[in-house]
Amino acid sequence: MVDQSPGPGTGAFQAVERVRRTPTSDLSVAEAAALRRVGLSPVGFVMGTAVMQLVSAYAGTSYGGMGIAGGMGLGGGMPWGGFLSSARSSGLYAESYPCVHGYGFGANADHYGFSVENTALGSSLFEGYRLALSRLEDEAIALGAHGVVGVKLHFEHMVGSAGTATFFATGTAVIHPSSEPLPTPFLTNASGQNFERLISLGFIAAGLAMGIGVVYVQPNCLARGSLTAVGANNQIPAAIGAARGRARQALAGTGHKLGEGVVHTEWSDRRFVRMGESWNQLALAFGTAVRRYTTEMQPSMTRAVVPLRP
Amino acid sequence: MPDLVAALEMLRTPFHAGDQPTFLSDLTVGELVLLEEVDYRPVEIVSGAGSASWYPQFTTAGTEAQMWGGAIASAINSAREGIRSEVNRRGADGVVAMRLELEREPVNQLTCTMLGTAVRVEHRSGHHSAKGGEPFTTTLSARDFHLLARAGYRAAGIVLGVSVVGFAARSASQSLGISRDNVELEGQTNALYSAREQAMAMMEREAASLKADGVVAVELSERPFNTMLTHAVELLAIGTAVYRGRDGHRSLGPQLQLDLDDPVAETFTSG
Repeated sequence: MVDQSPGPGTGAFQAVERVRRTPTSDLSVAEAAALRRVGLSPVGFVMGTAVMQLVSAYAGTSYGGMGIAGGMGLGGGMPWGGFLSSARSSGLYAESYPCVHGYGFGANADHYGFSVENTALGSSLFEGYRLALSRLEDEAIALGAHGVVGVKLHFEHMVGSAGTATFFATGTAVIHPSSEPLPTPFLTNASGQNFERLISLGFIAAGLAMGIGVVYVQPNCLARGSLTAVGANNQIPAAIGAARGRARQALAGTGHKLGEGVVHTEWSDRRFVRMGESWNQLALAFGTAVRRYTTEMQPSMTRAVVPLRP
Repeated sequence: MPDLVAALEMLRTPFHAGDQPTFLSDLTVGELVLLEEVDYRPVEIVSGAGSASWYPQFTTAGTEAQMWGGAIASAINSAREGIRSEVNRRGADGVVAMRLELEREPVNQLTCTMLGTAVRVEHRSGHHSAKGGEPFTTTLSARDFHLLARAGYRAAGIVLGVSVVGFAARSASQSLGISRDNVELEGQTNALYSAREQAMAMMEREAASLKADGVVAVELSERPFNTMLTHAVELLAIGTAVYRGRDGHRSLGPQLQLDLDDPVAETFTSG
């Protein structure tokens, strides 16, 4: 039956009703056994999705606050130096790498190499993941779960739909049968076995921490690998450093609100949405924020074994 | 004993973030347990990056392409220096399970990135150990790092060797695929040996400069580059230099384990 509900994501309630009748899970047998050992039972496979049209790098409307550039800036109506300083004054990462050959054709030589933080794309991606995760959490709440383990996040581009991204969050909701529900269920990307280890170490998963950093890179001749200028370039390392730094800062910021630390951070760097010779340097980080519930747990030394394999 | 009820109770009260820094780690919980057992605690995720380009053409047969090899070494070295300075700034002792990635784009450019969890030695009593010398870096996994520490060794840092050696172009008949003889391309074989020798020697010099006792987990990668103007082979060696502790090697005394589980029989085979 096709869901006819009015709002996006409301099809989730149909899924919840189905799961109530027949609990499902994407846990392996070993993961389920590990969770049983600490007292948790799987209650249902939960999922949250959101299909988003990402903001276009060329369609931003403001210089510093939201987008990397307005159409006016990229069209040449505004000097590049002014555009970069405007981004800088808004607290964004922005650096110019003028052409080593001195090309400029009378205009500002900054055109031939600059990097600037792309908060428009960064917040688009963040919003997609946030929506998917909040829908996953809603399903878990509807099932009366205490948490969701093994949360996996990914996004994909819809074939034939330029600039779109589909965000997925999936996992297995778990319950501790003799405890009252929590105000909000915990989410963790740790597997069942790693959740068991976490509890044994004196920590509990408090929620997911997330950080995203995006830097738009218009490479100069040196960073482009042109044969007319070679040597060490600082533009690419600086852009990677700035994107990773922003992702790390956001990860620590969300983690700091939830617990003492963030573990199991899954990190991804990639060149995203290439436009000719330029690209968006993307850094994505997701991890589990943890809280220490006891300081009495001490790990016992692991036993070294050599398996006898035939 | 693990106590889930106590752990869930804690989640009923909101977390009050104090002034203490939030530790960040890309290690799994299992890996953190392994590090905790040998007294290392996570501090923060640290990173470094370096990038360089070179002229790929006009390599001379039997001669090392100094600029090309130098550019690769400079990109990796910048990343290594960058991550070490981040570790230093956080007052950590080193970085473990470091991801080292080499991205080539386009043909004459290499970008090296490193990312890992900075760790600090913290004895069970809660006291930090006196920090000794420069911070270490290693690509060894948390499991291997744990074994290394238990066996009485310490990581000194990653060491690298790189060499690019040119070779002569093949004869016209060989290039056109109409060669009548089955012969060894001696120039190419020799270039490969020469590149290997120079890369390993460079890596050993780096290890010697750290006064290390040896290098473990060396990864060798070789890339031949044969185009109209360029005939060269690139050889890259990266490993972790280690110190042997004062007490020498300690045996872990592993126990033999016989797995009583049988592999699951395949019901359906392919096709």
